[in-house]
Amino acid sequence: MIRVENLGKRYGERAAVRNLSFSVAKGEVIGFLGPNGAGKSTTLRMITGFITPTTGTISVDGIDALEHPVEARRRIGYMPEAVPLYPEMRVNEYLRYRAELKAVPRAQMKKSIDAALEKAKVTDVQTRIIGQLSKGYKQRVGLADALVADPKILILDEPTAGLDPNQIREVRDLIRALAGEKTVLLSTHILPEVEAACGRVLILHQGKLVAEGPTDQIRKTLHGSASTILVMSGRGVRAAFEDAVRGVEGVRRVLDAIDMEAGIVRLRLETEPNAEVGARVFSAVAKAGLALHELRSDAVSLEDVFAELTTADAAASDAPPASPTPPATTDTSEVAS
Amino acid sequence: MKTVLAIAKREILSFFVSPIAYVVLTAWLLWSGISFYALAQFYASNPSHGSTDTPISIFFGGTTLFFIPLLFFVPALTMRLIAEEKRSGTIEPLMTAPVTEVAVVFGKYLASLVFWIALWFPTLMYVWLTSRYGSVDMGAVAASYVGIFGIGIYYMAIGVLMSAVAKNQIVAAMLTFMMLGLLFVFGIFSQIMVDSDYEELFTYMSVWGHMATFSRGVIDTRPIIFDVSIAAIALFFAVRVMSQRNKGAA
Repeated sequence: MIRVENLGKRYGERAAVRNLSFSVAKGEVIGFLGPNGAGKSTTLRMITGFITPTTGTISVDGIDALEHPVEARRRIGYMPEAVPLYPEMRVNEYLRYRAELKAVPRAQMKKSIDAALEKAKVTDVQTRIIGQLSKGYKQRVGLADALVADPKILILDEPTAGLDPNQIREVRDLIRALAGEKTVLLSTHILPEVEAACGRVLILHQGKLVAEGPTDQIRKTLHGSASTILVMSGRGVRAAFEDAVRGVEGVRRVLDAIDMEAGIVRLRLETEPNAEVGARVFSAVAKAGLALHELRSDAVSLEDVFAELTTADAAASDAPPASPTPPATTDTSEVAS
Repeated sequence: MKTVLAIAKREILSFFVSPIAYVVLTAWLLWSGISFYALAQFYASNPSHGSTDTPISIFFGGTTLFFIPLLFFVPALTMRLIAEEKRSGTIEPLMTAPVTEVAVVFGKYLASLVFWIALWFPTLMYVWLTSRYGSVDMGAVAASYVGIFGIGIYYMAIGVLMSAVAKNQIVAAMLTFMMLGLLFVFGIFSQIMVDSDYEELFTYMSVWGHMATFSRGVIDTRPIIFDVSIAAIALFFAVRVMSQRNKGAA
């Protein structure tokens, strides 16, 4: 549905996006993840034709988006990051205007607007003036705009920014409901968002793709280890514990030990991924006669993956982005598989 | 074409819910009302003035001063058109909708011509007033309005271009004012450099020179061609500016 090849955008000396290639299949929900300034918005703006790339090609539903921008945009419903709206218009006036711009046939106009209002849950404010709406409502008006022409592709830049937890859940549910029917490309810097809504993740850092893969797979395989948290008590418990678990299958090392109050120590144990070490660690601790208060596995969050990838990458590619074709493709394909 | 109308419609709606519309329209009405009153007074007290001039013809073409306020009112009407979309960021949803730069520029231009008509519409009342108490040469009045519309074609296109160039309304207004002022001053040259080689050129560029012709009931095609040519050039550059957006430097 979307195919991007060697996409690059530079502003003078600074490269905002470098040599980016990826594709999105029909019906997929893809999450673009990266810290602020990673090039997510720039990439989305290039796909939607708002800014022109310096290098590369973009194909949207088989159409060359750079050669035929208007045709490509016809297939896309886009919600920009800050959701700019006209404050003086009413919600339904705005959606009508947007539907006219997007060439919704006159006969279907009312039906399309009502459906978009309904899906984005803004039916109750449709006669209100946009400037007087709360941030959450404005955000959803932007979403209604993206949906109004019933496009094949939805591109949402930070769709839940500024919403309260209930609204965030509603938007995620909506995105999940659209999966399969529509191709969705969304960007976020919030990890649970991707985990909640997306089937596949593209991690962007400093304008380069640093990792790509299915959400659950990226969580499991990208990270080389998992961890288990133990809460224990006793004098010199860390040393005693380290002795006790030495040689236990799947256990690597004690990452850290934090002294809580009254002799309670919270330890973090690094383990092999998917090793299911809980039972073995428990019996080792029991055999050593240590006082165990709590034992739980600490699922590797995308946060950890993300921190690891982006900080490692920052150290590795400290060179100035002077070269026009940085060798970005090699490291991405390896981690993706 | 449909998108042009949609853009123009939205622009007109936004304009008429904004206070600036009423400030500009009221100020203009006040100014033109005072001018008309002064002229009517003058002719009432000097009935045997002798010339072929009438309050209406003088109103439209007799005085340079009458046009100077337009140098302020035109920027006020056109400054928001594109610059405001850029400042507020609504340019992004606009330019990512399936619309061309040409459609956006023409939609905005069409809206600005509607503002221009709204500006001049109330002046019909002066025609009506004079026709009640005296004879009005309706041909000359019609020709005057053709001339006024010609000036609208020209001034509004300059305003659209400057609004496309500028990053915000204030800069757009300043640029429009400067540009119109410059072109207006060229017109004044025609009266200063009377025997110079360029007199004809400056006369051709003079807005109230055009109006002097029209207000006598003469529809000259040359000023109209001038207005349309300037508009075409300005709109061409406005489209160019819009398509160059975000291509190169930050």
